[in-house]
Order: sequence, then structure tokens, then C-alpha cells
Amino acid sequence: MDVIFILQNTLRTATPVILAALGCLMTNHVGMMNIGVDGMMLIGAFSAVMGSWVGGSWLMGLAFALGFGLLLGLLYGVFVIKLRSDEFIIGVALNIFAGGVTTFLLRAITGQSGTFHAPGGDVSTIPQLSAPFLDNVPVLGQLLNNHTLLVYVSWVLVILCWVLIYRTPFGFALRAAGEHPKSLRSVGKSPEGMQFIASLMCGMLAALAGAHLSLGYLSTFSENMTNSRGFIAVACVIFGRSNPPMVFLAALLFGFIDALGMQLQDYGISSALTSIFPYVGTVLMMILVVLRSRAKSRRKASA
Amino acid sequence: MKGRKLAEYLIALSVSVVLALVLGGVIMALSGHDPIEGYSLMIQGAFGKPRLVGDTFAKAGTLCLTGLATAVAAQAGIFNVGGEGQLYLGAMASAIVGAKLTGVSPIIGVPLCLLAAMLAGGLYAFVPGVLKVKLKVDEVVTTILLNSAAIYFCSYLANGPLKTMDRGVNAGTDKVDPAFMFDKLIRSSSLTQSIFLTAIIALFVWYLMRKTTAGFDMKLTGQNGRFARYSGIKSDRLAILSMVISGAICGLVGMFEIFGLHKRFITTVSQEFYYDGMLVAMIMRYNPIGIVMMSIFFAAMKIGGLTMESSAGIPSSLIIIIQSIIIFFMAAENGILQAFRSWRAKKKVALTLRKEG
Repeated sequence: MDVIFILQNTLRTATPVILAALGCLMTNHVGMMNIGVDGMMLIGAFSAVMGSWVGGSWLMGLAFALGFGLLLGLLYGVFVIKLRSDEFIIGVALNIFAGGVTTFLLRAITGQSGTFHAPGGDVSTIPQLSAPFLDNVPVLGQLLNNHTLLVYVSWVLVILCWVLIYRTPFGFALRAAGEHPKSLRSVGKSPEGMQFIASLMCGMLAALAGAHLSLGYLSTFSENMTNSRGFIAVACVIFGRSNPPMVFLAALLFGFIDALGMQLQDYGISSALTSIFPYVGTVLMMILVVLRSRAKSRRKASA
Repeated sequence: MKGRKLAEYLIALSVSVVLALVLGGVIMALSGHDPIEGYSLMIQGAFGKPRLVGDTFAKAGTLCLTGLATAVAAQAGIFNVGGEGQLYLGAMASAIVGAKLTGVSPIIGVPLCLLAAMLAGGLYAFVPGVLKVKLKVDEVVTTILLNSAAIYFCSYLANGPLKTMDRGVNAGTDKVDPAFMFDKLIRSSSLTQSIFLTAIIALFVWYLMRKTTAGFDMKLTGQNGRFARYSGIKSDRLAILSMVISGAICGLVGMFEIFGLHKRFITTVSQEFYYDGMLVAMIMRYNPIGIVMMSIFFAAMKIGGLTMESSAGIPSSLIIIIQSIIIFFMAAENGILQAFRSWRAKKKVALTLRKEG
């Protein structure tokens, strides 16, 4: 079994989950559980490909994705924060809407259905980076080099988000908006404002996750290409208790299970069977986190 | 819902539907199609021929069952988003039993197939139900993830160990005994005898939800679990039971697809049927009678959308967009109403101030 290959794939498949989870944990900190990230990812993936195709550059693709992500965050914010709609219903509606709107636009704009094939060759994809000095380092070089830009960006963002949430006044206000909105108001800050900011950030991060799916390795969009990865991201956020490094580890664990399944396909195990692993694995992860916190509180009670 | 509240709700619903249809028309116009032509094609496509009417009512049956499945669980406070997986497993289980029992009298065979579908769907809903009630694991996420797991599992079975030897079948199990199949009611439409079973199930769910103490207790559990427990209701057990009933109904939907149309399990047995029904249930606020009526409307849009696509080239996914817009409006109904009231109140204040000033 090729261990390096598995680990490399782990980093690759974990990336969209990491990015979407970072978005989701932002809204979690302000007290909103956004299960609409999957739909946000899907629209992000679609707009990234369209942007790259129309604009002729992957940078345009990313800009498109971020722009639409911002719009989606705004939409989610207006409904959940301003109009006080049920966050679950809006999340579910957003996911269904995303499936419909991407399929519709794919047909309406390009006349194609199912999977997008750019007329006249491929669209520009996000470049892969590598550090030349790592090339000579045996394992690390293979592992860390030749990933697309967003893989590295996602790692930087994990650290940035952690600093932002736990080490800055802004992060303090963000957490207060979720835990003690009244005290936040008493110091003259608006919890709704913080919620809106979190919602916008969530939209952009989720769209970035989608862009990685469509422009990272494939340079194409296909209907429903997120494959419920957005929900895996939500599960990772629950598992990591909205703490970026912990969520990052949870996403890596998911990526590992996924990559392991891919490797097992080389041994003649059906891909349909190995595709089950990440989903069941994530459900088991969710059970584990509850059992763990239960054991902890029991220990506290007996102490 | 009584009196004024019901009236308010109905007004909000009709305004939402009309607005969503108008927005759908705008989208049609923007993408270069004539909205009036589009909508009239949709109506013709849903009711223009007996075959199409049959298709519409068959679709309404599916939507109604999946919607009611959502509603039963929701009444006890569980959001079952996993109906798609439960549907797949029900379809697979009944297809296996239906193929194995070939030659057995339908009087014995069909009920066993029904049972298999209910068991498979019910058990698959039991898992997230128990996790939610006993361990407080969020059911929305688990049920969605279990959907993907079930669909891949069925696809594995249909491509692998249970793959049929019949020629011309790409991915599917063996045929079920033709004697078990539901007969078509209108030729070349998808309306089959299963619609009668659908009606019975719908009646049962309505009766359970509205007329029994179990249904009332479920409602209390859903509204305020702690209060329900204090008043002596076995709310944990009821919540799990409601989830199992929900899953069993979804399993039956899967079986009806197989035994009415496909004759064997195929991997495309459902195209997100459950999500369509869930939308209906959410729009109707889990009201069983409302769900039945809205199912017909949504089914007409879905079936009519096919003609709209084939005749005018308008992608039928426009229907999904329209339906999700209705949901957005209905979910925001209270908020919009409040915003409107405070705006009117402000205006009134401004007016009186001006008069006095």
C-alpha cells in the first residue's frame, strides 16, 4: 500500500472540507448552525468554473466564486438574522435552491447538462505550487509539494481564523454575539452586525471550497458535485467544537478515510463500497464526540 | 390553526406562490423564453392528456407520502432529512424479497414485500432516531450523511453481488415476480394501483397525527420535550417511533417505484424524491391535509415542467428554483409581516406628528 500516496490524497480531499468547515464554524460561533454550506459550495463551484471560462483566468474564477459567496452569505443573513427565519429551513432551502439554480444556469448559459465541457479546450485552473528546496527532502517533498494554491491557503486560513477568533477583540465580539448577545449590546456593539459578518465570511469560505472542487484538479463542473461534502464539514465543526485547529484535524481524518477508500479501489474493492466509508466514518465521529463529552461531564460530576 | 391565524397563513401562502411564479416568469424572460408560453406548456404538460394526468397524480402520491413522512417525524420534533436513503433501502429490500419469492402466491408475496420495504426503511431511520433521542447527536447531519451511505451501498449491491444476469440491464437486481407488480391504471402513465395504498397510508398518517392520543403526545414532545416528560409521556419512545414510521413510509415509496414501474431495483430509482416531498411538508408547516393538497400542485409543476423543457427548451430545474423560492418566502413570512407592521406603524406615527406639527 502506497502510504505517501494516501497521505497526499488526504491533504487534497480534506481541503474543500476544511474551507467549508472554517466558514461553518464562523456562523457557529455567532449561534447559527448553517447547514446551507453544501449549497453555498455548489454555487461556488459553478461560479468559479463560469468565471474562469468567461474571464479566461483562474483568478477571475476565484473572484466570481468569492463574489457569489458574498451574495449567498448576505442572502442567508437577511433571512436568518433580519427576517428571523428558521435556520434549518433556510439551510435546507438553500441546498435545494443551489441544486436547481446550478442545473438551470448550466443549461441556460452553456446548453449543456450533467457535466460542463468548455467549448474550445479546458478552462484555466488554479495553479499547483511547489517549493524547489523541498524536492530533495524524501517524504516531505512528495507530501507537501504539487498541491494547488488553495490547499496551502486553507492551512494559512486555519491559523488566521484561530488567531482572529481567540486572540483579537473582533473575535471576542464574535464569540460574545453567540454566547452573550446581551452583554455585547451593553458595550455598544450589535450582535446582529457580528452575525452578518460571520454569515458573509461563511459564504465566501464555502464558495472557495467549491472553487477548489471545480477548478482545483478537475477544471469542470458537474451537477451535485459537492456530494454532501458540505455536511461532512458541518460534522467536522461539531466534532472540533468550532475550534479551527481541531476542526482541521477532523477534516484531515475525513480526508484520510476518503483517501484510504480510493487506495482500496486499486485492490479491486468496488468504488461504490469504498465511497461509503467517509459518510459512515463521519457519523461514527459524531457519536464519538457525544460519548466523549458525556464521559467528561460524568467525571466532573463524580469529582 | 384557527380562524385568523389560518387566514393569515393562507394569504401568506398564496402571496408566496404567486410571487415565486412571477419570479419564475422573470427568470424565463431573462433566459430568452416567453413566460406565458412556458406556463401554458406547463399546464398542458400536467393535465393535457389522460396519460399526463395519470403521471401528475402518480407524482402527487409520491410527494404526498414523502411529505407526510417528513411531517410525522417533525411532529415529534425530529427533522428527518434521511428519507432518500430510507427510500433506497426500502426499494432494495422489497426488490430482493420480490425476486426471491418468485412463484409464491401474490396474496402472501406482496405483503411480505411491503413488510420488507417498511422494515428496511424503518430500521434505517431508527438509527439516527436513537442517536438523536438518547445521545443528542444532531439528526439533520446524520440523516443526510446516511443518505449518501445508503445510496452508495445500494449501488454497490446492484453493481456487484446482486447484479442481475439479464441482458440489457446496466446496474440492477433480478426482476421481481410479475404477479407482484402493481397494474397500471391509465395506459402508459406511471399511475398504478399503488395509489390506493398511498391513500390508505395518507389516511392513517392523518388519523395518527390528528386524532389519536399518540399523535397528540408526539406534538407535545415536539413542542416541549421536557414538559412532555414531566406530564408522564414516554417522549423518547414516541420520538423514535415517529422516526421509524417516517422511515417505513419512505421505504414503501421506494417499493412503489420498483413494483409499479421499474420491475427491479435500479440505481436511479429516485431522483431526490424525498427532498421534493420535504419541501412540500415544510411549506405546509407539516399539516397533513395541506400536504396532500400541495402535493398535487407541486406534482403538476414537476410533470408539466418536463413538457416545458421538451417543447420550449426551458430547463425543468426552473421548477426547483420556483419551489425553493416559495420556501424562502414562507420561512420568512413572520419576519416580513413584522417588518411591514413596524414600517406601517412608523409611517402612522410620522403622519400624526406631521398633522399635529
